[in-house]
Amino acid sequence: MDIGKASGSEWSIQESRDRLNRAEDFFVLDVRNRDEFDAWRLEGRAVPPTLNVPYFEMLEEGGEDDFVDSVVAYAGKALLPRLPSDLPILAVCAKGDTSAFVAEGLRRMGFEAFNLRGGMQAWGEHYEVRSVVSEPDLSVQQVSRPARGCLSYVVASGDEAVVVDPLRHVDRYIDLCGQEELGITAVIDTHAHADHLSGGLELASRAGSPYFLHPYDAVHPIDLVPARIRFRHLADGDRIAVGTTALEVLHIPGHTLGNIALLLAGRYLLAGDSIFIDSISRPDLGGRAEAWSRLHYESLGRLLELPDDVLVLPGHFSRAGEAGDDGAFRASLGSLRQRNEGLRMAAEPAETFSAYIQASLPDFPERYVDIKRVNAGLLEVDEDRAIELELGKNLCAMAAAAAREDARSEGRLA
Amino acid sequence: MTSIAFDRELDARGLKCPMPLLRARKTVGELAIGQVLRVVSTDRGSIKDFQGWADVAKAIELLGQDTEQGPETLYVHYVKRLA
Repeated sequence: MDIGKASGSEWSIQESRDRLNRAEDFFVLDVRNRDEFDAWRLEGRAVPPTLNVPYFEMLEEGGEDDFVDSVVAYAGKALLPRLPSDLPILAVCAKGDTSAFVAEGLRRMGFEAFNLRGGMQAWGEHYEVRSVVSEPDLSVQQVSRPARGCLSYVVASGDEAVVVDPLRHVDRYIDLCGQEELGITAVIDTHAHADHLSGGLELASRAGSPYFLHPYDAVHPIDLVPARIRFRHLADGDRIAVGTTALEVLHIPGHTLGNIALLLAGRYLLAGDSIFIDSISRPDLGGRAEAWSRLHYESLGRLLELPDDVLVLPGHFSRAGEAGDDGAFRASLGSLRQRNEGLRMAAEPAETFSAYIQASLPDFPERYVDIKRVNAGLLEVDEDRAIELELGKNLCAMAAAAAREDARSEGRLA
Repeated sequence: MTSIAFDRELDARGLKCPMPLLRARKTVGELAIGQVLRVVSTDRGSIKDFQGWADVAKAIELLGQDTEQGPETLYVHYVKRLA
């Protein structure tokens, strides 16, 4: 059972990410079923060439007791022309067990093959931390969960930290703040998230700090029932102190009714789900695209009044290429006015913006209704269901669907 | 809850992928043609994997699948030997 677990025959997620970010060539043999493979892929700044062969197809080639025999038999018959002989091959599956056998089989055939330790489940739980603001008495760290394209923030001044939009593996934030001897004084969700399970309530409760949300987001927009969670109400103009500075609340309804952005020290915009790097957030996840498009237009207009040198720190990304050379996602508002299509549309007349939104809305993922129920305390889920709800990249951005189409046509997705 | 008659049961609880499928494949081979195997697994991924396997495998049919809630969620599969 411990085949391929020896050191040297497997790569960790971090190691694989580093290789991708250095644009090192390797090949991925992904043996998950097609649905899971379609839902998400290991990716970094480069996307490796990938072949998807579900493991149960290999199983049909003999080897009643030893799956490695099946791998060798199947590969010999059907894979040889499709696998590179001059590149390392990384075998990938859901949890890293089956792919260990696959890597072992390929090694037996003479390939340089490795197993992705922990598989795609580990990829889903992989977090990365990057400093995006570093001043004498103010720092912001961007905590990303690259598998889902989710970005959260730890804002620190003095020995205090405010955590914005924490994701559900809250130990990451507790450990990070612990290492830097920061006390978490507030936890803020910029809105009721639909694409991922929030870590906000749990982190606040474990840190003994208040949890902030705008009250308009404490009603489930589809069910029209109130949330069953304890939170402190945010309002436009509120200031949440952190050390010697503060986060100013800007109520910007549109993506949700209670959507907010946070302006830090007057020059850093924690934009939540409003302005992303490539795109803007979608206004239809509450089921009222037309009415909320108009709110969204006004709110984006308000953000566009901020100065050009305000640094935008978004709540999501759709593709790794949106990051700068250091892997962090941030850009000045001035540069985004030029390069961000949705933002350019927000500077056009309202009718033009509405038509753009209506024409380019991505699909509405059904599971988002349940995710919002969980975040509102209306539904409890176990770990298996949590993983299932969070499968794949977020679809909060107008451009996300388009990016997936591009990926598909480039052959990066099946 | 599905009520499908079966002839033999395979306890694959706690087994990691690919063992539930590997054992199921071997056990189905031991059945007489027309008989049904019930496989009980704790691996969530086994739902999609048994569906995919049934699509590519010769001589088996997936009659049904169940999820049983309990202290540990169980994923149950009914596989019939066709030939």
